[in-house]
Amino acid sequence: MTVKDATVRAPGRPVLGRFPLPARVVGWTLVAGLGLLYVLPFVLQLVTGFKTDPDAAAHPLSPVPVTPTTAAYQRLFGLSRAADGVPFLHWLGNSAFVAVVVTAGRVLFDSMAGYALARLRFPGRSLLFGFVLGVMAVPGVALLIPKFLVLNTFGLFDTYTGMILPLMVDAAGVFIMKQFFESVPREVEEAARVDGAGVFRVFWSVVLPMARPALITLTILSFQGSWNEFTHFLVATQSSQYETLTTGLARFVSGGLGSGTQYPLKLAAALLSTVPVAVLFFCFQRYFVQGANAGAVKE
Amino acid sequence: MPRTARRGEGAWGWLFVSPMVLVLGLFLVLPILMALWVSLLHWDGQSNPFSSRAHFVGLDNYRSLLTEDGLDRTLFATSLRNNAYYVLLTVPLQTLLALVLALVVNQRMLRGRSALRTAFFFPSVTSSIAVSTVFLFLFQGSGAVNTLLAWAGVKGPNWYADPRGVLSLLLGALGLVDPDHPVGVLANHSILGLSWYQWLSGPSVAMCTIILLSVWTTSGTFMLIFLAALQDIPRELEESAAIEGAGRFQMLRYVTLPALRPVLFLVLTLGLISTWQVFDQVYVMSRGAPGNTTLTPAYLSYSSAFGDSDFGQGAAIAFVLLALILGLTALQRLALRERTPRTRRNR
Amino acid sequence: MTTRTAAAALVTCTALLTATGCSSSFGNDPKTTQDSGGQQHLTVLIATSGDAETDAVKEATAAYAKESGNTVTVQVAKDMNQQLAQAFAGHKPPDVFYVNSDQFANYAKAGSLYAYGDRIPDANAFSAQLRASFTHDGKLVCLPKDTSTLALAVNTRLWKKAGLTDRDYPTTWAQLATVARKLTGGKVTGLVTSNEYQRLGVFMKQAGGWVTDPGQKRMTADSAANAKGLAFVQSMLKSGVMKYAQQVDAGWAGEAFGKGRAAMTIEGNWLTGAMKLDYPGVDYKVVELPAGPAGKATLAFSNCWGVATGSAHRAAAVDLVKYLSTDKQQLAFADAFGVMPSRTGALAEFARRDPGAKAWADGTRYAQGPVTIAGFDKVLGQFNTDLQSLRTTDPKTILAALQRNGGQALTKGD
Repeated sequence: MTVKDATVRAPGRPVLGRFPLPARVVGWTLVAGLGLLYVLPFVLQLVTGFKTDPDAAAHPLSPVPVTPTTAAYQRLFGLSRAADGVPFLHWLGNSAFVAVVVTAGRVLFDSMAGYALARLRFPGRSLLFGFVLGVMAVPGVALLIPKFLVLNTFGLFDTYTGMILPLMVDAAGVFIMKQFFESVPREVEEAARVDGAGVFRVFWSVVLPMARPALITLTILSFQGSWNEFTHFLVATQSSQYETLTTGLARFVSGGLGSGTQYPLKLAAALLSTVPVAVLFFCFQRYFVQGANAGAVKE
Repeated sequence: MPRTARRGEGAWGWLFVSPMVLVLGLFLVLPILMALWVSLLHWDGQSNPFSSRAHFVGLDNYRSLLTEDGLDRTLFATSLRNNAYYVLLTVPLQTLLALVLALVVNQRMLRGRSALRTAFFFPSVTSSIAVSTVFLFLFQGSGAVNTLLAWAGVKGPNWYADPRGVLSLLLGALGLVDPDHPVGVLANHSILGLSWYQWLSGPSVAMCTIILLSVWTTSGTFMLIFLAALQDIPRELEESAAIEGAGRFQMLRYVTLPALRPVLFLVLTLGLISTWQVFDQVYVMSRGAPGNTTLTPAYLSYSSAFGDSDFGQGAAIAFVLLALILGLTALQRLALRERTPRTRRNR
Repeated sequence: MTTRTAAAALVTCTALLTATGCSSSFGNDPKTTQDSGGQQHLTVLIATSGDAETDAVKEATAAYAKESGNTVTVQVAKDMNQQLAQAFAGHKPPDVFYVNSDQFANYAKAGSLYAYGDRIPDANAFSAQLRASFTHDGKLVCLPKDTSTLALAVNTRLWKKAGLTDRDYPTTWAQLATVARKLTGGKVTGLVTSNEYQRLGVFMKQAGGWVTDPGQKRMTADSAANAKGLAFVQSMLKSGVMKYAQQVDAGWAGEAFGKGRAAMTIEGNWLTGAMKLDYPGVDYKVVELPAGPAGKATLAFSNCWGVATGSAHRAAAVDLVKYLSTDKQQLAFADAFGVMPSRTGALAEFARRDPGAKAWADGTRYAQGPVTIAGFDKVLGQFNTDLQSLRTTDPKTILAALQRNGGQALTKGD
C-alpha cells in the first residue's frame, strides 16, 4: 500500500500517528525476526533435502549443501533403489485417491444435509441439528479404538472403503453449509418453486450455483482435512498397500533402530507431502482464512 | 415466509440428511457404544467381543486406572500429569503469541503485512506429521536449534532424550531442591501412585519441544480469529479515544483488549479443548519416551490397545478422556451462551 | 438440549444396530477355511534391519516360489508390534511373519499363532534353549528363525590409543571398570549402551539374579543379586565411564560406537551388519562379556517364524518356513546380514566361517533367554523407563517396582 493510497482512503489510515523512528526500527527488527521464525524451518527443510546424510548431520543449520545431491528425490520418485520401504509414489497415489473421493463426498453430502437443516421442514429437524452440534464436540482421538471396532465388525478394516466411507460426511462441514444457506434470501427459491421446480431441482440448479463461495471453502477444507488425516488411517488400515503419505511417513520417521539418520530423505518426503496443500493455500488463501474463522464458531 | 409445507417436503428432508445420518451414526455413534461395551471387557483383540464368550469384567478397567495401586494407574496418572503441563503451557503461550501476531499484522502502516500473515498462518495448514518430522530434525541433540544456541554460548540439552522436568531443573539451578535426590514432604507423599515431586517437577525437556511445536503451528489459526475481531472494532471508538488523547498503550489497554474479550475467551477454550487431544506429534516424535514424560492419555489409549493388545483398558482410557473433553466443551458452550448472546448472529 | 440430543443419538443408534444386525467379521472360531488350490499366494511380513535383510528374505522367498509354484509377497513392517496386533484383531493376518520373543507369549496365549512344531520332523536340530523360548502350553509353536547374544565390542583404535593391549580385555567387573576409566576422555566414553533391561540385564544375571525364576512362574526381581548387578552399573554411570546411548546423542549404542563416541559397547551380532554398512572404516574386536560374581552370563534373543492361525494357507506357510529354516538357508542369511543360525549344526559352521563372531557364538552356551510372559511388555517397558534414571535412583527402588508390577501382571494373566 503506497502512502498516497493511505491518505486518500480514510478507513485505511491508522487512527494514531506513526511510531517514532527508533521504535519503528526496533519493531521492524522484531517483526522480521518473528517472520524468520516461521519461515526458517521450511527453508531448512527444503535445503536439507538436497544434502547428503553426513552433511545434514554435521551442518544442520547451514543454508547451502556442501555437496548438493538430488539422491533423496531420486529415491522418492523411484529413480533409484528404494528397497527399504519408502514407496513414496504409492503413498502419494493413495493420498490423492482418498482425498479426492472424500472431498467429492463431503461437498455433496454436507451441502445436502446443510440445505435440509436450513430450509426443508421435516419432523426431527431441530433434533438432528442438535445431534450435529453434539457430534462436533466429540474429539477424534477418543474414537481411535471405537472406529477400529466398527470397521472390524463390518469387515471394512484394511480396505479403501473403510478408509473413505467414515470420512464422507463431517459435522463441521454440515454446520458451515447450514449457516451459509440460512444467509441466502429465500425469494430466489420461491420464484423457482412457483415455476414448478421440485425440491431436488431447486437445490441442484438454483441453490447450489449460488453457494459457490461456500462450496469452494468446503472443498478446500475437505481436501486439506483428508490429505492431512492421520489417526483415522492409522486405525483403519494395517498393510503397507494402504499407506498414505501421513501414515507411511509417520511410521517411517518414528521407526526405531538405525533409522535415526536419513534426514534428507525424510525431510524431502515431508516437504513433497505438503506441496499440494501449500499450492492450494497460496492460490486460495482467503478461503482458508474463512475456514479458520468458521471453524472457530463451533457454537 | 410461507407457512404452507409443500407436499413431500418431509420425505425430501430425510432423504437429504440420510447420508449424514448414516455415516455419522455408523461411524461415530455406533462405535462409541461398541467401545463403551468393550471398555467393560477384558478383551485381547482376538475373539468376538459381542458374543456370549466375551470376558465381562464390569468396571475393572476403570478401577485399575483410577483406584487400584499399580502400573496401569501410574501410567495413566503420568499421562494426565504430562498432558496437564502441556495444556498449562501451550494454551497461554499460543493465545499470547496469536494476539501479538494479530496486532502486528493489523498494523496498517506495516509494509508486507499480508506476506507476514501468510507466513504466520502457513504452518497451521500443513500436516502435523510433516511438521513433526521437521521439528524432529531441528531439535536433534546436534541439530539446528542447538547449533543456534551454541552461537549464543548456551549448551542446548539433548532435547528428545532428556526426561528431567524443567521446573525441577529451574529450582535445582536456584539451589532450592536437589533434582537428583528429592527429599521430605515432596518425595514422601503421593497421589495416584506418583509422588508430589513427580507431579510438581514440570514438563520434561522433551515435552517442551512438543509444546513449542504446537504453539508454533496453532498460533496462526488463532491469529486469524483475533484479526477478524480486531477488524470488527468500530473505528469511531478508536477515533474518539484518540481525540481524548489516549496513547498507544492506553488504546490497547482500554479499547482494543476489552473489545477482544469474547474472542479471547473463545480462543482460550478452543485451545483448552484441543490441547487435551494431542496424539500425532507424540506418535511421530517420541512415542511417550523419554521416561514416559511425553506420554499423553490419547497415546496411552492407543498403545494399550494396539501395542499391548489390551483393548478394554485402551477403551476405558479413551472414555475418561472423552468425558473430560466433553465436559470442557459443555462448559465452554454454556459460558458462551450466557456471556455473549450476540456472537452467533455476528458470524 | 443435551438430553434431547442424547435421546436422538440413542434412537438413531438402536435403529442402526437393528438395521445392520450382527454382520460380524470376527470369526466365531479359530478354524479358518483352508485354501486347497494348486497355486497359493503367501504374504510374509518382516521387520527388517536394513536393505540387506529385506533383499535376502526376498531372494529366498523368490527361490521358494519358483520351486513350489506358489507366489510370495514380502512386506516390510515399520512398526511390527502395532501392525501385527491390528492384523490379528482385524482378522487379516499375514501368512508368515517374524515373531519377537517379547511378544511371543501374548500372541500364543491369544491363539493367534498356529502351532506347527509337530509337523517339523527335525525340530531337535534347533537349539534347545530357543525351542523352550517358543514353546507354549507344552507345544513348540514356531521355529526359531535365528539367534543372537550379547558380547563386548571394542574399538581397537581407541583401545591402543589408551595404551591397552590384547591382554587387557576385561574378564571381571573390576577390570571392566578399570579399562572403561582408561578409555574415557574427551569426547570418548568408555562404555556406552542403551538403558534397557535387554542390555543391563547381563549384569543382573552375572551377579546371579534374574527377573523371574527359571520357570517364569514367580518374580525374583527384588533379590539381592539383582540389586548388586544394578549397583555396579550405577557406580559406572556415576563415575562417568559409562553412559547411555541417548546421553551421547546417538539413536542406539551401535551408532555411538561407530561414530567413535564409545570405546566399548554391549551389543549383539547385528552390530556386524550395521558397522559394515554405516561405518566401514572402524576397526573393532568382539570379546565375551566379563564375568560377574556369579560367573559368565549373557542374554540371548530370537525371533521365530510365526504362522497365523487365521491364515488360509497354513500348509503352504509351514512349507515356506521349512524352506527358510534349512542349514543352507540359515547360513545364507548369516552371510547376508549377520544373524546367527538357530540350528546347532549351522551355528557351529557359522562360528568356523566367521572367527570375528566367535564371542557371540560362544555366548549361546550360557545365555539367558528373554522373559516371555503374556502381558509383560508394559511391565518391562516401565522397567526400562526406570532404568533410565538408574544413575540417581536406588536400584532397590527400581527393582521393587518391577517386582510389584510383574507380580500384578502374573496374577492378571492367570
